[in-house]
Amino acid sequence: MADEMEFGGSAGNTMGVELELQILNTRDFNLARDADDLLDLVEKTEHVGAVKPEITESMIEVNSSIHERHETLLAELRGIRDAVSGAAQRLNLRVAGGGSHPFHKWTERRIYPTDRFKHLLDLYGYLAKQFTIFGQHIHLGCPSGDDALYLLHMLSRYVPHFIALSASSPFQQGEDTAYQSSRLNTVSAFPLSGQAPFIHAWGDFAAYFYKMRDLQIVDSMKDFYWDIRPKPEYGTVEIRVLDTPLTVERAALLAAYAQALAHYFLSTRPREPLRDVYLFYSYNRFQACRYGLSGIIADAYTQQRVELKQDIVTMLSQLAPHAQELGSTAALEELTDLVRAQRTDAGWLRTVFTAHGTMNDVARLQSDLWMGRNEGALPINGNGA
Amino acid sequence: MFRDGCRTLLTGTAIVPLSFLPTLPLPASPLVLFGVLLIAGHIGGELVYRITSLPRITGYVLVGMLLGASGLKLLTPELTRIANVFVDIALGLVLFELGRRLDFKWLRHDPWLLVTGLVESALSFGFVFFALVYLGVDPVYAAAAAAIGVATSPAIVLLVTRELGAEGQITERTLALTAINSVISFVMVTMMLSWIHSQYRANWYTVFLHPVYLLLGSVALGFVANHIAKVLARWLRKHERHHFMLLLGLIIITVGCATVFKLSVVLALLAFGVMVRNLDERHDLMAVDMSQVEEMFFVVLFVVGGANLHVSDLLAGSVLAAAFIIARFVGKSLGVLTLTWFSGVRRRHAALLCMGLVPMSGFAVTMMQSAMAEHPEFGSKLGSIVLAAVVVLELIGPLMIQFALRRAGESGVELPDGR
Repeated sequence: MADEMEFGGSAGNTMGVELELQILNTRDFNLARDADDLLDLVEKTEHVGAVKPEITESMIEVNSSIHERHETLLAELRGIRDAVSGAAQRLNLRVAGGGSHPFHKWTERRIYPTDRFKHLLDLYGYLAKQFTIFGQHIHLGCPSGDDALYLLHMLSRYVPHFIALSASSPFQQGEDTAYQSSRLNTVSAFPLSGQAPFIHAWGDFAAYFYKMRDLQIVDSMKDFYWDIRPKPEYGTVEIRVLDTPLTVERAALLAAYAQALAHYFLSTRPREPLRDVYLFYSYNRFQACRYGLSGIIADAYTQQRVELKQDIVTMLSQLAPHAQELGSTAALEELTDLVRAQRTDAGWLRTVFTAHGTMNDVARLQSDLWMGRNEGALPINGNGA
Repeated sequence: MFRDGCRTLLTGTAIVPLSFLPTLPLPASPLVLFGVLLIAGHIGGELVYRITSLPRITGYVLVGMLLGASGLKLLTPELTRIANVFVDIALGLVLFELGRRLDFKWLRHDPWLLVTGLVESALSFGFVFFALVYLGVDPVYAAAAAAIGVATSPAIVLLVTRELGAEGQITERTLALTAINSVISFVMVTMMLSWIHSQYRANWYTVFLHPVYLLLGSVALGFVANHIAKVLARWLRKHERHHFMLLLGLIIITVGCATVFKLSVVLALLAFGVMVRNLDERHDLMAVDMSQVEEMFFVVLFVVGGANLHVSDLLAGSVLAAAFIIARFVGKSLGVLTLTWFSGVRRRHAALLCMGLVPMSGFAVTMMQSAMAEHPEFGSKLGSIVLAAVVVLELIGPLMIQFALRRAGESGVELPDGR
């Protein structure tokens, strides 16, 4: 087996987070084009882990290091947030979370000038610029490739959870989309999006990859835009369906939830992968995007319909012993409270829009919230989905 | 009775035949003039852009020069006086826009930007002043010329930025530094008026009160305009169309009031713009885009500006012009190159920023001349010192800033290689 598909196993209880962030101007709070200067300054001022360019000049990606505990992850994310916000302010820019910018026009976006991104523009045309959307990726450590594939198929059942819990892209191009997460609709346009094949042994998966590569369908694992994808190089499974939440606090809670799920599945192996999960997959995913916590999904294991809110609360309570082992009990309790109260980022954004009346104000307060300057504004999590 | 009526009618027609027709010579119509300047300027800009891909603004100036004093002399001083009302509106729009770009919060987070602005202004003033004095210019005139030279032309910077759709650090910093050096220049020029008045042995109260009236009055006018804008905006609710009409109306009213009260149009509108950006704690006002209307007035502004340029000045004052331009550029660049490093601007970009600050236009001179209208010999002497430099900087300025913004990769026009 060639190097690139060798699975570099890692401890089963580790996690890491990547966040794609919006760069706004301070004039009308539209997306700016200053990724280059911001990256330059962040690198110059403080060492905050990896900060990288993304496909258009209005985005950057920040990465945490590897963590075993929720509180250390949260502390690091806060540090990164403060460093990036501080650098942004010196350049008269703002940084914001959220899965979409409420009113930017994709035609005004410009591709970040690296060979890979220029190639993507060549290949995908306008889709590349429409890809100016912002996601959170959670990496979960796995001891082996087989474990990674098992975990991947187990987590597929819970993809709607992560969509509903992170949904923060109700607005696109100045319009209310009626979705809680409209971002994933943009991802779906790409030919290699969707789900990994129903394969269980790492050797078979590697063979599948080589077949795709020999046919020049892909160049590397990076070309698969799947919702969940193994990352052999890191020895992780990467959940990619989440919108970037409006706060690092929520981002860390969601990582803690994913970590507890992974711990539960990898340490107890409660059930086997089921093809039916993928029979209902697109429908369930749509329900989560469209309705958030109020969505109704079909459970492949029980063959029942269940409301997402209830499904999440049930799972969270089931994870309690694992959370205790991982030291994330408080985090999962906080998440449970948020779900019970139906507090979502998409709901918060809609509340702000109703209260202020313009998308500019939404973008402004969205960045205030991210940068931790929301004193006197609305509470962190507005009601309603 | 009837016969009387007929006679009146007849004699009436007999005395003024065809009185419904216009009489010769035709009166000058500001409206015809505006339209002609607009179209002529636009065509000139388009020609220059298509043939040379230089900024359109250069075309506007060239058309002005062609029609004006240096060319066909169609735009006589009489006609440019009529066009002054449009020039005032255009300047009002420019300064308002520029004021909206000056963000005090930015200066708080990056104090080095403010320091850069202060130092480059001081250095360019000092260098120009000493260069001119060295060449034998009377210190009063050298100081007035140097004060005018502190300002980068807001109109040129704004217009080229717009034309390129430029966005990024060099664009924003050029605009911010332009705003800072414009404020400094206007204040210096206003203060200097008192000094100059004293040279002409004016009354003590003119010496003291005139600049105070100009400064405080203009700022107060801007403050009132901003206050009315906020109150009306709250009542109208947040909608782009409402705020567009509201701001445009208030800008024109403020320009008018500044003229009526003999205040400074430039300062009043700059103050209005700055306050809209910085004294709007509740975010009542939207950052509406007024570029379409502004562009219309900017074309006329630069055609008239071109018409006022005299190529003969260039030949007469070439030594002074060279000294002025070099001293100004060295002063500004020294400030920018040494201090922007502290703001985290890359060296290469700092050099581009220096180029962005080169543009200068003749309106500051015109304004100073009109402020000193009672001493016309002052105006003409000042003109002979700086106008040659203005001819050069009004023509090469746009090219320099266009080059700088393109080089910095901040032009919105995407080139095939992705830059």
